[in-house]
Amino acid sequence: MDKRNFLISRLIQLFFTYWIILTVLFFLLRLALPDPTGALIMEGLSIEEQEMVRARFGLDLPLPQQYLIYLQNFVKGEFGTSFHYKSAVFPIVMEKLLNTIVLMFFAIFLSYTIGPLLGVLLSWRRGSRLEFAGVVTGLVFRSAPIFWTGMIFIMFLGIRFGIFPTSGMRTLPYEATGFLDKIFTLDFLWHLTLPALTIALYYVALPMLIMRNTMLEVMGEDFIELCQAKGLSQGNIMYRHAARNALLPVVTQAAITIGLAVGGQIVAEVVFSWPGLGREMVQALRTSDYPVAQASFLLMSGLILVMNLLSDLMYSYLDPRVVYRREGA
Amino acid sequence: MRKNLRVLTLILALIFGVSTMAFAGPIPEITILTTTEAYDPIRYEAAFLIKEAWEKLGLRVNVQPLEFSTLIQRFYNEQNFDIAIVGWSGRVERLDPQHFLGTLHSEQTDVGGNNPGGYFNPTFDDLFEKQAVEFDVNKRRELVLEAQAIAMVEQPLSILFYRDEVVAYNNTTFKGFVPMAGEAIYNEWLPFTVEPVGTSRTLTIGTSQEPDNINPLDSTTVWGWKFMRLYYDKLVRLSPDIEPVPWAARSIDPIDDLTIEVVLRSGMTFHDGKPVTVEDIKFTYEYFMEKDFAYFRPFYRPLDRVDIIDSNTLHFILKEPVANFITVTMSQIPILPKHLWENIHDPSQLSPDEVPTIGSGPMKFDRYDRGEYKRLVKFEDHFRAREIDIDAIDYIIYADTEGVFTGMITQQVDMTAWRMEPAQIGLAEQETHLSVVSVPDFGYYHMTYNLRTPPFDDIKFRQAIAHAIPKRTFVDVLLDGRGEPGTSVIAPVNTFWHNYEVRIYEYNLDLAMGLLRQAGYQLDSSGRLNFPE
Repeated sequence: MDKRNFLISRLIQLFFTYWIILTVLFFLLRLALPDPTGALIMEGLSIEEQEMVRARFGLDLPLPQQYLIYLQNFVKGEFGTSFHYKSAVFPIVMEKLLNTIVLMFFAIFLSYTIGPLLGVLLSWRRGSRLEFAGVVTGLVFRSAPIFWTGMIFIMFLGIRFGIFPTSGMRTLPYEATGFLDKIFTLDFLWHLTLPALTIALYYVALPMLIMRNTMLEVMGEDFIELCQAKGLSQGNIMYRHAARNALLPVVTQAAITIGLAVGGQIVAEVVFSWPGLGREMVQALRTSDYPVAQASFLLMSGLILVMNLLSDLMYSYLDPRVVYRREGA
Repeated sequence: MRKNLRVLTLILALIFGVSTMAFAGPIPEITILTTTEAYDPIRYEAAFLIKEAWEKLGLRVNVQPLEFSTLIQRFYNEQNFDIAIVGWSGRVERLDPQHFLGTLHSEQTDVGGNNPGGYFNPTFDDLFEKQAVEFDVNKRRELVLEAQAIAMVEQPLSILFYRDEVVAYNNTTFKGFVPMAGEAIYNEWLPFTVEPVGTSRTLTIGTSQEPDNINPLDSTTVWGWKFMRLYYDKLVRLSPDIEPVPWAARSIDPIDDLTIEVVLRSGMTFHDGKPVTVEDIKFTYEYFMEKDFAYFRPFYRPLDRVDIIDSNTLHFILKEPVANFITVTMSQIPILPKHLWENIHDPSQLSPDEVPTIGSGPMKFDRYDRGEYKRLVKFEDHFRAREIDIDAIDYIIYADTEGVFTGMITQQVDMTAWRMEPAQIGLAEQETHLSVVSVPDFGYYHMTYNLRTPPFDDIKFRQAIAHAIPKRTFVDVLLDGRGEPGTSVIAPVNTFWHNYEVRIYEYNLDLAMGLLRQAGYQLDSSGRLNFPE
């Protein structure tokens, strides 16, 4: 099977997977979360007034009919009206999504450039104190809860020394004409430092250790010996020959991490008051705001599916030995 | 459908009731629903303290912490509980006894109503209905006090505690904060009372609570209204001592039971420079009625129409006499500019950018960036503008109270909009630049019994166990002394309406056991409390 057929069959698969996710999500939220009008009672609304609100959001319709409306809306690219904000979901979610993506992009970029490089270094210095220190530090940050790392940063770099701001994306108030205008500033980078660093430190152990382990495997292969026989320098062998062959698992891992990243690091967003999608999702679940919750989860699952597909495709690019074949063919 | 369900429940309850009467046995395990520890550690711990005390009386008690929205669902929408620990927040309009007394009215016992415990007492209902239409405040007060006395004797619920609002402000930047019951220092009078101490004339408020939206015909959260009320005026304002004072109205006089005459203050303008006229007032009230905004329904429901008498005078014509129309309705409905709203036919469909933000209040709306920032600036042409010593109010929105607290420590913000966590209070007190303010609340946390199921259908049982609720411990230990043990649904801080003579149930397990024995409840050989024979 050639690449084009592979792509088509994968796309059909993706379509069905997504439809299943859509359906499960719709029913799961309605089964698991309490009635969204519950909060209105606390505001003192009478039964009759609660009925008015239910009717407004279509919650009085039978569930199958609600499901059909939901599918129709989705096809039209609409996510409905938020029960909590009482305005269209899409702009709310989109703005938060961009905020999350920019944070996660920097964090993942940091960890997936530094991580693999460190991994190579560690495998090169196998058995040394450096390796020991590297592995232990990596694991410590991987095991430490993000809120803890974040709070330590806030305590020292934010409060004690006052070098970095502890919350938000910009110094308030700020004027920005658009999203790019908002982030292409030094002020933004200054605000980004602590949250991005916190998340990057959490992520960095994974690519680093994966790289180190695969490197150790690759180092035993014949072609490395050949390289050495050719008289290539150690650095050259490590980074140009061995590392390239050890990169595959790191790429897969990166793709999965990016896919999950759209949900953001909820904890980091809370600790640093970052106005991201993660915070929005938690809030939506708390208030039983189905439309916002649906939109956030759909964006997240969509991105995971696409990233998975991309990583599969990238495999063959990075390693020509990988061919796409139907089983048994 | 719902009726059938109710009949079925009734039959089941009857069968169950008869069966327990016929075979007096041990009292079944009692489940207390409460919040999770993460949501509110105080209500969570309180449930366990009650369990501990009650088990000494031979009761089996199980504490079930629930996610807040699930708790609300089980309590209000399903009425599926033995005992639930919930609360009412103290909002200004609830200083009027109508709302809190109404939670014990039998009309509210249906699923989704405010009386999920199912309390029903014709005498109480009668007093409640009479006070609702009594214009004479002193006569009304008598009725309100009597209703409270009945509730305290019958114990359909137990008020556990009133929790103080503990907030803080930066004393090196601003002074003059005037606290209000239930509202602490983030109240309507803020622009008029604070004075800069340092150089900054912009008051920055740190908050973790955000409006759902700022559409006056669509916002259904306290945090939307706490923000909007600073840039909209109302006919009446409640003073810091909760006295209604004419505000946008120059005078308000009830002519008879169904007519209220309002004379508008002259010379007021909206933020866009247009004058505020009687047309705007009439339009506003009728617009809220016409669009039937559910959240405000209790406010405008008694209103029939508004008549313009002359260029300054209006008559509010009511459908029935309502005691709290002036104190509640007129102090809550914001005055909208007719010229901006009259062409909006479906205000609930407005996108956030389309919502008009022009009012005539002491502050002008400047901007709102969701999740980050809000700003109000002083309205120089307000009729009381010379009393305002600040130029602007900034709001920084944090993800949680921890973020707000960090903002207070790093002096990014000048005050908190909502209460601090107990652990933060001690830390704040150690900071010399912070002043901590403790304000009593008239909202309350209560434990409501499901009166439809035994043993809670027995008044004697409820009176006995009322002596087994360690309310002092809640306040001294859980609240660190910042609160009051609960008594009546109308809190003591609401001095005018609170009944100081109500029956108090001291914590005394021996007394509780004695009362249970008197009522026929007996301990069996395994030490478990049994129903009366």
